Amino acid sequence: MEEQKKYARLFNDIDSQTLITLGVVLLATIVLIIVSQRGLNWIGNRMHGQLRFRIFALVPMTRLLILITALAIIVPTIIEPSLQNMVTLMGALGLAIGFAMKDYVSSLIAGVVSAVELPYRPGDWVQIEDTYGEVKHVGLRTVDIQTPDDDLVYVPHLKLWDHAVYNANNGGTSLQCVASFYLHPEHEAGWVRKALRDVALTSAYLKFDQPIIVVAEEKPWGTHYRIRAYPVDPRQQFLFITDLTLRGKKVLSAAGVQSAMLPPDAALDTRNAVGSAYSRGND
Amino acid sequence: MGEQSSLSDTPLWAVVELEHFRTPEQTQASQWRRSLRSVSSWLGGKNDAEQQVKDDSELRALPEVRLAHLVPPIDWAPAARALAQQLEGQDAPVTFFITTPYSGHASVVTHWAEKHHIACLAPPTLSELAEGGTEWVEQCVNQREWAVPALERYFLRHTQGIQGIREFLERALSGRLGQGMIGCDSWTYAFLQRVIGIDGAPVFTLQSMEGEQLSRYFAQIATHKDQPPSVYSTRTGKQVLANLKGGGHESANNVASHKGENKELQRLAAHCRGHIGLAWHYWRERLREPKAEDEEALWLVDALAEAELAADTGDIATLVLHALLVHGGLDDHSLGEVLPFSHHEALNARLALHRKGIVSSSEGRWQITPLSYASVRQLLESRNYLVDPL
Repeated sequence: MEEQKKYARLFNDIDSQTLITLGVVLLATIVLIIVSQRGLNWIGNRMHGQLRFRIFALVPMTRLLILITALAIIVPTIIEPSLQNMVTLMGALGLAIGFAMKDYVSSLIAGVVSAVELPYRPGDWVQIEDTYGEVKHVGLRTVDIQTPDDDLVYVPHLKLWDHAVYNANNGGTSLQCVASFYLHPEHEAGWVRKALRDVALTSAYLKFDQPIIVVAEEKPWGTHYRIRAYPVDPRQQFLFITDLTLRGKKVLSAAGVQSAMLPPDAALDTRNAVGSAYSRGND
Repeated sequence: MGEQSSLSDTPLWAVVELEHFRTPEQTQASQWRRSLRSVSSWLGGKNDAEQQVKDDSELRALPEVRLAHLVPPIDWAPAARALAQQLEGQDAPVTFFITTPYSGHASVVTHWAEKHHIACLAPPTLSELAEGGTEWVEQCVNQREWAVPALERYFLRHTQGIQGIREFLERALSGRLGQGMIGCDSWTYAFLQRVIGIDGAPVFTLQSMEGEQLSRYFAQIATHKDQPPSVYSTRTGKQVLANLKGGGHESANNVASHKGENKELQRLAAHCRGHIGLAWHYWRERLREPKAEDEEALWLVDALAEAELAADTGDIATLVLHALLVHGGLDDHSLGEVLPFSHHEALNARLALHRKGIVSSSEGRWQITPLSYASVRQLLESRNYLVDPL
């Protein structure tokens, strides 16, 4: 009898009025989240430049605010908000989470952290482990990344705890692209550098308020040149790299500059370099 | 009152250094209005016209002959004289005179060169540009003084196409080609400034015109027997042209009352960023006469209704528009050469833009139409493309 009274004190009386209130709050929360997420994504996808990223950054933050507001209404409606009750509730929840839903809840908490710290937001180009692509949606438990191959990868937020997140544009419109050229050692390096810079300068995709850097690195098999430059819009990165590569090859070939003939072991090394250039050039 | 008097005394044609160029009052508000209109037409389809005092159906376009009298082509000679005044005492090896498309840099520099008996250099051919040859630069060596009316004809945006102009400008800026005056499209100037680096040379431009100056200018060119025609705005029903009685200057009181009444041309000035060449095209396109025979007054239909770009204009169309602006217009073949996609894709995009009235052909070159220029510039700016300094 005494035990029953204790539990009764933990929870408020749930009458039909309370149930209706809870139902309305839950329904309103769901509707608000759906409307705000879809609405903001819809608007953001039709914007360009910095405004697009500002709108996308609002998506997880809005959802978090709606959820906190809903919890602030629901919890005191169900539970008598005393210290003793809260400790009891937290203890019970902790036990359940610890045993059964550790990773799930860890992802939810990491989702809250991601909404505050913004390691990624919709519109960003990120690499998490082997996945590189554009963040399409930051959900409660996962971040949805669309790869250049058009696969949608759902990465749980809990990766935040122990994996590096490479963010190529970090909520902005500047994303560095790298186009690589592997040339035979016999060539006029100064001319090649100038020619590659001209290739970048005359690209239709070039963002002019960022620097263009041509890097040359001597290798046993020849010279590795990289054009580092920025496209007008991060979404143009692959078109930009393609444009630089095609026109660079054309200019070099017209001038009689030969490509390097790579030995097999160097080819392996180069493949790694290409991979990193492809994923925004972390090299 | 002092300010109003000085406004009516402001010369129509003023050539200023680039850093002294100022856009007219309300330019920012005009951009916001355009964005708002773009968003509302995007959300709810094409806008209905604003509430109007005079219905468009009661009006008709003016016959070409009458239009030619009321809105004759711009005479750029006064601008050339203003440029000559600015150049007095200048001894820089190269001086730039830049304006936006349709705003007369080539005509002004040609006028200036003719007046001073200075030879205008012939631009290189397209094949010379495509091959990246610099032989044409050698032909400029023997001139002590020279002028280039339109520098945008001297390059193409590809690796070969910038070699000649780089050589030419390097020689010119170092003084090895004597003294030169270069007329240049403001978009080309912005591009070459980044690609070649032409900082240091003096740069002049036409100062923007406010609504009051536009009103005076349009009244002047349309004036017959000292009396400008009566032109009313279909939007407000108010008269839009200045009264030129009294030697072309209004009294301070007239200016005060006129300024309060006539915001239509200030709106137009802000929309065109004060560029007379663009405003002239709006004025010419938007003048109407009543269908009723007994009415004589002319009407200016909503000056800002234009061929608008959709907010979701795709990348290909955007790149085509930017390429056309940077080159001051291009033919189809050259357009394909400077764009990163195939010729038929470029052609399709150009055709689509032509159908929408965003581009038109002039002397074999496709150009942004004057009535679309403002919205195209705003679109490119919003997408972080390189835009002109004017």
